[in-house]
Amino acid sequence: MPDATPPPDGRRGPNRALGNPFSSFVNFPGLFVRGLRRLPKDIWRSRFRTLDGLFHIGTAAGGGVLVALFLTEIFFLTQKSWPTITGYGFGFILGTVWNPNPPAPVFGAWPYIVGTLLTSAIAMLLAVPLSLGIAVFLSEEAPSWLRVPLSSLVELLVAVPSVVYGLWGIFVLEPIMRTTIEPDLHMSLGRIPGLGGVFPTPSAGGDVLTASVVLAIMVVPTIAAISRESMRAVPDSQREAVLSLGATRWETTRLGVIPYARSGIIGACILGLGRALGETMAVTMTIGNSNHVPSSLFMPGQTLASAIANEFNNSFSPLERSALIEAGLVLLGITLLVNLVARMLVRGLVGSGSGAAGE
Amino acid sequence: MSSASSTPPPADTIAPTKSSRTGLYAVVAIIVIVVIILAAGYAAGWFKAASKSGGTKGACTPPGSVPLLGAGSSFVDPLMVNWESVYTQSSVNYQEPGSGAGIAQISAKTIDYGASDAPLTAAQAANASGLLTIPETAGAVSIIYNLPGVNARLQISGPVLAQIYQGSITAWNDPAITSINPNITAMPSNAIVVVHRSDGSGTSYAFTDFLSKSSASWASGPGKSTLPAWPTGLGEHGSSGVANTVGTTPYAVGYVDLTYALNQGISFAQVQNPAGQYVVPNLRDAALAVAAGDMALPTGGASWSNVSLINEPGAGTYPVATFSYMLVYKDLSGAYGSTYTLQKAENLVDWLNWTVTYGQSYSSTNYYVTLPAGVVTADQQTIDSMTYNGASISICTLQN
Repeated sequence: MPDATPPPDGRRGPNRALGNPFSSFVNFPGLFVRGLRRLPKDIWRSRFRTLDGLFHIGTAAGGGVLVALFLTEIFFLTQKSWPTITGYGFGFILGTVWNPNPPAPVFGAWPYIVGTLLTSAIAMLLAVPLSLGIAVFLSEEAPSWLRVPLSSLVELLVAVPSVVYGLWGIFVLEPIMRTTIEPDLHMSLGRIPGLGGVFPTPSAGGDVLTASVVLAIMVVPTIAAISRESMRAVPDSQREAVLSLGATRWETTRLGVIPYARSGIIGACILGLGRALGETMAVTMTIGNSNHVPSSLFMPGQTLASAIANEFNNSFSPLERSALIEAGLVLLGITLLVNLVARMLVRGLVGSGSGAAGE
Repeated sequence: MSSASSTPPPADTIAPTKSSRTGLYAVVAIIVIVVIILAAGYAAGWFKAASKSGGTKGACTPPGSVPLLGAGSSFVDPLMVNWESVYTQSSVNYQEPGSGAGIAQISAKTIDYGASDAPLTAAQAANASGLLTIPETAGAVSIIYNLPGVNARLQISGPVLAQIYQGSITAWNDPAITSINPNITAMPSNAIVVVHRSDGSGTSYAFTDFLSKSSASWASGPGKSTLPAWPTGLGEHGSSGVANTVGTTPYAVGYVDLTYALNQGISFAQVQNPAGQYVVPNLRDAALAVAAGDMALPTGGASWSNVSLINEPGAGTYPVATFSYMLVYKDLSGAYGSTYTLQKAENLVDWLNWTVTYGQSYSSTNYYVTLPAGVVTADQQTIDSMTYNGASISICTLQN
């Protein structure tokens, strides 16, 4: 769908507002600007009395509510965290000591920022290959009697509350990590020169790696379900065309399906990343909640979200409350920034020519 | 579909039957769900609300029934849960997000009473003026540990604990630990997994109060707080979180209210008291701490920030004990405004009065210390000083 041909002013072409539905979720400001640009200029003159015009205004109002909510949120967070924004400046982001206790409270969110980025990055590293495997299997390989129950199972897993994953993490995963996986990692990867500090002798189960694995397991269903959907949306004529050229199953998937579903798959990954960045309960239950920059993957840490969950109930002083709200603002900023970078990567990856289903 | 009534080919007749059957299934499913919900509601007592109100017992007219809302300490939660279940005058809903949250919520006036194991600090008292402090029970903070293969009970002292929690003692076979544990011949060399609370906690306050009184470097470093800046270790949410992690993680050490240790069967250490004795936390010895500490308690409206049951004198006294406090406003109509009814005020006073008198009989079965008579009398004086529209609130509390 070439974006290069804008529809005639005031007339809505058939391609208007189509495109990748998942990228719409994650690139909200972009959508809004694009929507404004596409708003017909003569909407009040020519269309106001028609049902079509009412429909257009109604949906635009729906979008407007979303914009208003988003802006209100940013305004609220900034206003409520103004005392620490002005009081600590960039020291809030770069400081490594977080101690709300009198007489001299210090708020440095760097350990939390590191924890957030580290757990999400490891989670994506583990989750993306696995989910793509699941998606390809469900969409291309699985026999139909297996496809339906497995697909509904994946969709069911998306809806499992995070506290359940957290409980599973505490009672099942932590002992396995402590007794098997972490010692094995220490004995194998830890022996590679330079990696000994990353995989030291493990002590307790609640650490950065455990939380990352729980996060990975949580985002796999999201990524797999949406990727499968976008692969199923590729018309069968594509597959048949590639097969008719004598391609194997793998080549069909690689050449006929993945390029067409690529933007949907990347949208799915960005959604999964968003869930990993903001996840609170399951991380709080498994990460070990220590206010220090984790020196290895087997050390406890803290994410921005888990720090807020742990401390907000205890915050008496307005300054501490302000600091925690600023942590929320930083989390929002990180999410937007990561999305932006991911979008730019997608632009670079998909380019203008190769991705047929892209924008 | 329109031709379905006139022509009867089987392909067309199947569809309507199928859909009507689906509808039937849906109706049956809805009925079943409604019946289940009603049955569950009946079991939970939805339909008996009317039978509770009114009625007099003896010569005493109890106040009506307005639900009360409390929140705070998880230390005292097992006792609160028991109290809620036996107290029939009004329904009391207690939640346990931690002492810090209890103080924050009573300061914000979103609850009727707060519960905290830490007394209000000067700043907190200034933030919420007019709060009364009522000690409603006391308990021991146990030092729990998980040492596989060690059968003798661990002995520990305040200075050693402070070094463990500061990260300067990292292995179980550190000379500082082995030298005070002659009974344990083969102390493992494994690293100590230090576990603490990740949320604001009165148990943390009592524990760090103990560390501060035992170690100068702890006092000048992290200090005593409901949420100190822990130099090392693993943070877990709530007393049950700490108990669970220490119970399941080999070579871990932590601290919880004695109730959690006993209920979950986790080993707890003997702690050295100022007399040099290693004492197992138990009710009798914690009661000694309460008895030794209740000599000069402040009045309900005064500052309690220096009250502490840590390191009380006596050869058999357990050194890490703490009061648990209920926090209420002295002038209820003044604090909450005109929407706060007199009946609710009466209910609150009745509940407070009941907990410090009749409620005390449930303390020992839940591993808490029964308040000495002197503390109960002081509590009752504090409760009597509460007012509604300038007048004192007269109630007579029944045993149930």
